[in-house]
Amino acid sequence: MEIQSLYTLSDEEYVIQRAKNALIMDPIAAKAWMITAKTLYPNNFGVQFEAYRIEKTAGHLREAAKCFSDLIGKFHQHPEFWNEINKVTSALRIDSDLDPERQFLSKMFKHISPEIQHKLLLITADHCEDTMEHCKLLLLLLQKFHSAIPSHAPALIDTLLSAEKHSHASNHPINNYRKILVCELLPLLNEETTTVELSSKLVYKLLHKAIEYYVHSLNFHNNSNGQGIVNAELSWDKLCSVLEFTGRQLGWDPYLTTFGQNWTKEGYWQKLLTFCQSQCMNMDDNNNIRQLLYCLTVFFLQCLHDYKLSLAPEPCPGQPQTSYFLMEAFVDPTYPNPIIEPKSKRRKLDHETSTPQITVDKPELRNIVNNFLMTVKCWELLNSTEALQREYTKLNMHLKLNVWLTQFLIDYSVYKGQLDDALNYIKQKQDQYSPLKRNLRTASIQYLKKNYYASYNHIRSVIETLPTSNNGNLSNCLIIGGTQRHLHFLPLTKLGILQICTKLLIRSILEKAEGGYADLAIGNILVLSQLDWPQEEERLPSLLKHIQQRGAFQYYLFQTYVVNVDILEELTFLWTHQVVLDVVPHLGPRRIGTRGADKGVKEEIRQAIKTQVCRSNDALDQLIISFITKERESILQTLMEILKVIKQYTD
Amino acid sequence: MSVQETKISLRKIEFPACAKEALSRISQLICRRGPSLSQMDLALDLMAEFVFCEIDKRGNKLPPLNPIKELQLLDILFEYFNGNIKEVFKNTVFLSLFSGTTATLRSRILSKLISIAIGVPSKSVLISASALMQQVGDSSMNYNKLAEAIVKDYFVLIPNATQRLSGLPDFPVPRSLLETVVLWVTANSKLCIAAQQNPSPRSLLETVVLWVTANSKLCIAAQQNPSALPSGTIVMESTTSIAGLLKWCILAPIYKQDSELYANLHLGLLNNILDIPQGYQPKAINHVHLAVPIRYIYKYAASLVRKKDEAEKNRCLLEDVNLQLSLDRYAQAVQVALSTNCVYGNVGELLNQLSQLPQNKLWSIVIAANQPNK
Repeated sequence: MEIQSLYTLSDEEYVIQRAKNALIMDPIAAKAWMITAKTLYPNNFGVQFEAYRIEKTAGHLREAAKCFSDLIGKFHQHPEFWNEINKVTSALRIDSDLDPERQFLSKMFKHISPEIQHKLLLITADHCEDTMEHCKLLLLLLQKFHSAIPSHAPALIDTLLSAEKHSHASNHPINNYRKILVCELLPLLNEETTTVELSSKLVYKLLHKAIEYYVHSLNFHNNSNGQGIVNAELSWDKLCSVLEFTGRQLGWDPYLTTFGQNWTKEGYWQKLLTFCQSQCMNMDDNNNIRQLLYCLTVFFLQCLHDYKLSLAPEPCPGQPQTSYFLMEAFVDPTYPNPIIEPKSKRRKLDHETSTPQITVDKPELRNIVNNFLMTVKCWELLNSTEALQREYTKLNMHLKLNVWLTQFLIDYSVYKGQLDDALNYIKQKQDQYSPLKRNLRTASIQYLKKNYYASYNHIRSVIETLPTSNNGNLSNCLIIGGTQRHLHFLPLTKLGILQICTKLLIRSILEKAEGGYADLAIGNILVLSQLDWPQEEERLPSLLKHIQQRGAFQYYLFQTYVVNVDILEELTFLWTHQVVLDVVPHLGPRRIGTRGADKGVKEEIRQAIKTQVCRSNDALDQLIISFITKERESILQTLMEILKVIKQYTD
Repeated sequence: MSVQETKISLRKIEFPACAKEALSRISQLICRRGPSLSQMDLALDLMAEFVFCEIDKRGNKLPPLNPIKELQLLDILFEYFNGNIKEVFKNTVFLSLFSGTTATLRSRILSKLISIAIGVPSKSVLISASALMQQVGDSSMNYNKLAEAIVKDYFVLIPNATQRLSGLPDFPVPRSLLETVVLWVTANSKLCIAAQQNPSPRSLLETVVLWVTANSKLCIAAQQNPSALPSGTIVMESTTSIAGLLKWCILAPIYKQDSELYANLHLGLLNNILDIPQGYQPKAINHVHLAVPIRYIYKYAASLVRKKDEAEKNRCLLEDVNLQLSLDRYAQAVQVALSTNCVYGNVGELLNQLSQLPQNKLWSIVIAANQPNK
């Protein structure tokens, strides 16, 4: 535009237009024009805003920030500028954004002086009609300016609490207000440099809100299959920082509420124990109990969470995820003693016999056991004194932690051998347990209670719901030596489950027979023993001895289920040594008659054995599954006496 | 020790050792509360006879020092001012050595001493030098010579001076240097008008632009950090370099200097003016200094419209791009300076003079906006 034609413009327009004209050809001169315009018309919004817009369009961070700062005090009521303010604050909240304008505004904000930044956020928050926006802006303010915390944090806490109360989400702890409160604001308040005045009642309330939030959100993550595990780790830190904050506010001994870099679970546990011992005299001091209670509860919940996570470890890529399940396994004194870790060697003897051995299949799974034992220790400490128990019950009623504890409590009852408690929990919380786990656990407990019939029925249900995609391997840790009880973290794979079910069934039959084996019982045991061969081989000689003593063995399921070469070889050996094998149904029982008269029979039996040997490569898991599911009658007969007892009970 | 004894004992020592000894005697004489007149006289005598060797023992005038002796003296002075003495004493000695009636005689030594101090650089010598300039002011012809010498040393003889000196914008080295440079520029403006050519080596301009844009508080630094002066001194109002530098960029277009550096310097100066603390007693820019460009613009405008009739005159002035750019820059500078309330003196008189400038829309806006009755 020619200078002459510019003369027709008004003064303001002229100066602005000169700046705009110069922008492309001579940005330096444009800036000089802009400065002049701004000093000429300090109270003219149009000029000031135009100056800002020119700097913004040119991408000058420092200059735009300066113009923005000039505008904010005087003109924030102006809708056009207000819009710009909102753009800045919204850009601040989105950290990684590719939108160039937002990036620019966010960077520009950093060039604004702290006082103006403070003012900007406060003005915006005050003008915000949406509560959530208001809270977010205030939070942003507090994050940027820690000095504003004492004056604005209490109000923000109040706003968040009442907003949560009045929002639709008030019954659900996972909501956005709570998230801001617990994940952002409280850890911020824990910053060393800041002090906030809050009533102790409010501090407890905040701690409750925080615990509740974390318990719920972690539980939620667990259900969605390990999603957000990393987040979970972070959030424990944050919960610990809330605990630190609480401790400082309430004047707790910092001994228990210091969570530094070198924090370890074992170390913290020792601290808790030391605290208990040193404070046991003052346990009627309410403050001490509460301090212990909250620290212990949070620690317990963390251990519990870790335990739950370790039960379903991340699978190797390309492999299905396997979860683990605490089961009562078996002890055989004739087995060699398991290698006991040096640590447990140091334990006292009486302690050793009452504490069950817990095994896992692979050394890298050992952390499940450690996590479990730490959780158990916490739980026992929580229930160690009446005062603590009473306080915990109160807290529990408030926070409804029980929902989350059920699975652990069942594991704990199993660990303690409190079978009835375990059964009760399972009945109460049927919906929280998958049918597979429920049946597996019930089968095990019923076996331990010698209710073999019930145990078998649950085993059948388990077999019906075996996992199909995760085959797994047979374990060799299900039986160990020694005299202690033996628990095992069973991988919930097809073979793992089938193996323990088979063992339960073998033992049911054995225990029921009490040494007086019927042929059917021997036959069933032979069939079931085939799965875990040769681990079950040791049982074979005694069974064969029974057959030999009796001189005959009748088992019509032979042709369907006995395929193990070793067993077939031993049976053939007995057969060639004058033992009658009645294993082919249509031949019927025969005595050894005149020489040569049963030659055809012999031939048939030999043929039958040959046929079975040919099947020795059959898939054993399939064979056992169909045995357990299809041969209900035969199996029940070997558990019959129990059946009678149950009938007597029910009649 | 009597006056005569002192002199006799010093005469037993050869130059330059006697200069060194004399300096310590001088500082003993004048660095005290209220030195007597005789003490002052003795100090001045010692300077003339033993330090600068301007007179012999009978008071006869001697020829200037030969280059070797000059170098020896510089070495002694440099060592003395870098020694472990209180800043206020250093400034006292420095002021007595280089001001007063003998200043012209000694300006050669002074410029070399400062030149060395810039090159080394020596903070203590530069502090004393800036105290001297603050007290004596920029009007004295001696300091124009000094500035000229330093610009010659640093911007004419050294090709990449910008690079060498770019590391300097820290207190106090650039401040003193900048002051000297500006003095030179103000003093030489007549020169540049006569020659109608680039008044300064480009590297000088580059250095100034670099400093001014890098530090928007540089131009008022001298006022913000007053020097330590001997007790009883009447502290002189120090002037900032803003007006002098502004003249430089305002007049550049009409002397056909279209280097971008001038625009940069102009913007840097505007930002410097904006950064002058508000509410601070206005003493940054004197109205007389700010009015200096007016007459140069008149002269230029007069040369444009010579032998033209009235109607053509106006059109000619409006269409002359250089004149208009010069006026725009001038108006911008005055507007910004007035808006930050940093001009002192008779502002009404200044506006009156400015309203006589050739026609320019921005000027009419600025003058209208700053009328006191408005």
